[in-house]
Amino acid sequence: MPVNLQSRVIDLRRNLLALGALVEQRVGSVIEVIRDGDVDLARKVRAGDAEIDQMQLELEGECMRLLALGSPVASDLRLILTAMRVSNELERIADMCKGISKRVIRLVESGSYRYPPALVQMAEAALTMLRDVLVAFSNEDIKLCLEVRRADNYVDGLNREVVAWAREWIERDVEKSGAAIELLAVSQRVERLADIVTAIAEDTVFLVEGRLVRHGAE
Amino acid sequence: MQSDASTTPKPAAASHAPGPRVEIPLSSPVPGAAAGTAASAEIAIKVRGFSSWYGQFQALKSIDLDIPARHVTAFIGPSGCGKSTFLRWINRMNDTIPGARAEGTLELHGDSLLGKAVDVVELRRHVGMVFQKPNPFPKSIYDNVAFGPRLHKTYTRAELDELVEHSLRQASIWSEVKDRLHASALGLSGGQQQRLCIARAIAVGPEVLLMDEPCSALDPKSTLAIEELIETLADRYTIVIVTHNMQQAARVSDRTSFFFEGRLVESDATENMFTKPRNKQTEDYVTGRFG
Repeated sequence: MPVNLQSRVIDLRRNLLALGALVEQRVGSVIEVIRDGDVDLARKVRAGDAEIDQMQLELEGECMRLLALGSPVASDLRLILTAMRVSNELERIADMCKGISKRVIRLVESGSYRYPPALVQMAEAALTMLRDVLVAFSNEDIKLCLEVRRADNYVDGLNREVVAWAREWIERDVEKSGAAIELLAVSQRVERLADIVTAIAEDTVFLVEGRLVRHGAE
Repeated sequence: MQSDASTTPKPAAASHAPGPRVEIPLSSPVPGAAAGTAASAEIAIKVRGFSSWYGQFQALKSIDLDIPARHVTAFIGPSGCGKSTFLRWINRMNDTIPGARAEGTLELHGDSLLGKAVDVVELRRHVGMVFQKPNPFPKSIYDNVAFGPRLHKTYTRAELDELVEHSLRQASIWSEVKDRLHASALGLSGGQQQRLCIARAIAVGPEVLLMDEPCSALDPKSTLAIEELIETLADRYTIVIVTHNMQQAARVSDRTSFFFEGRLVESDATENMFTKPRNKQTEDYVTGRFG
């Protein structure tokens, strides 16, 4: 089949954003899972992961086909390279959602589910970051990418609050240390989720300007 | 300055023996520099405000460009953009075209290549040309390579043998023809003929090699052989290649210059031109959106 690079690059961008929208939905659900301890919703999030895995594989396959057959350069090349990375990052965010759901189910079913307000705030901040980064990707908005990167510091600060809260919980009731550790695993995944969103923001800078800004580079 | 197509043989361009290739920063032009001027490099060919005409038609419009020594510079652009015209001015191939004229600065190591004072025959010893279609003389392989040197100097048989072998080795064709040096060059394959033409160009000891779509008539294997040869030759020669094959420009060149409608739109390190061109027209051309 002949490769019409231009139209397939447009499709690739659209499909990547569709995957982004689906992952955004998952993160939204995870906020409800955390806030309400909603086990049914948590099970749905876990079950929905396969769909995202499949979309990611299809996107990655299309990127490889376009690299091999379309000889892309310049903005086309940058979009394809970025799509390969971002699709993988979105899939990892979905994995985080699955991991969080699994732990909340365990905590709720053991009757030990408690959390500090900072945990929900973290998840909400991570969702805002994800929404912003998808807008930034769509509009090729570098300024918004840099705002997303800065927002990660806010999430890190909230994570420290959750850690302090869990430590206090363990000190107060050592029998709950298992539950506290499980909660820390939830918090750690939310924090990691925000890190991945930051990486997407950095990939978007590469998409727009061809500049690599990962690992703290300006 | 101004030059018209009629020339009188006079002093030659100065001799500049090929030296070792040095790694020089070829990344981006300094901010504010003209489109084609490199930030720092040993410049072989300097072009400033260069324009040319065929009669009333202006083919090139005020080109500013630095072509670094002992590196490969690719000229790209749609048909009729002026890239071949510009290449042909570098060794005065346009002199034979009635009404062709140029003005501005075009220098090889500070020596003007324009004007009636330039000895065009001597200039072409310093600036060799390889054409789109292999054009060996209807002579033996040996005589094809020996033809140029014999024009310029008297050699002993042994000296000439050595020069022919050296040139054929540099053009990566020696092992294929060493046992049939006196057979007709026309019996070689297209790819071999093109490498023979490169050997013929090299034999007179040029500093600059101009290549006008040297692979467009060749199969993929021969194209690969020529591209590998270009990479090898870049250690010793300043190479300027015109190509319509974008991937070839990306593979073989250190710097790429994009021409459009007689203007030099952008010139930069090849890596930048094919990953993050600064100009929208360049972006549209290299991604196939026009041209």
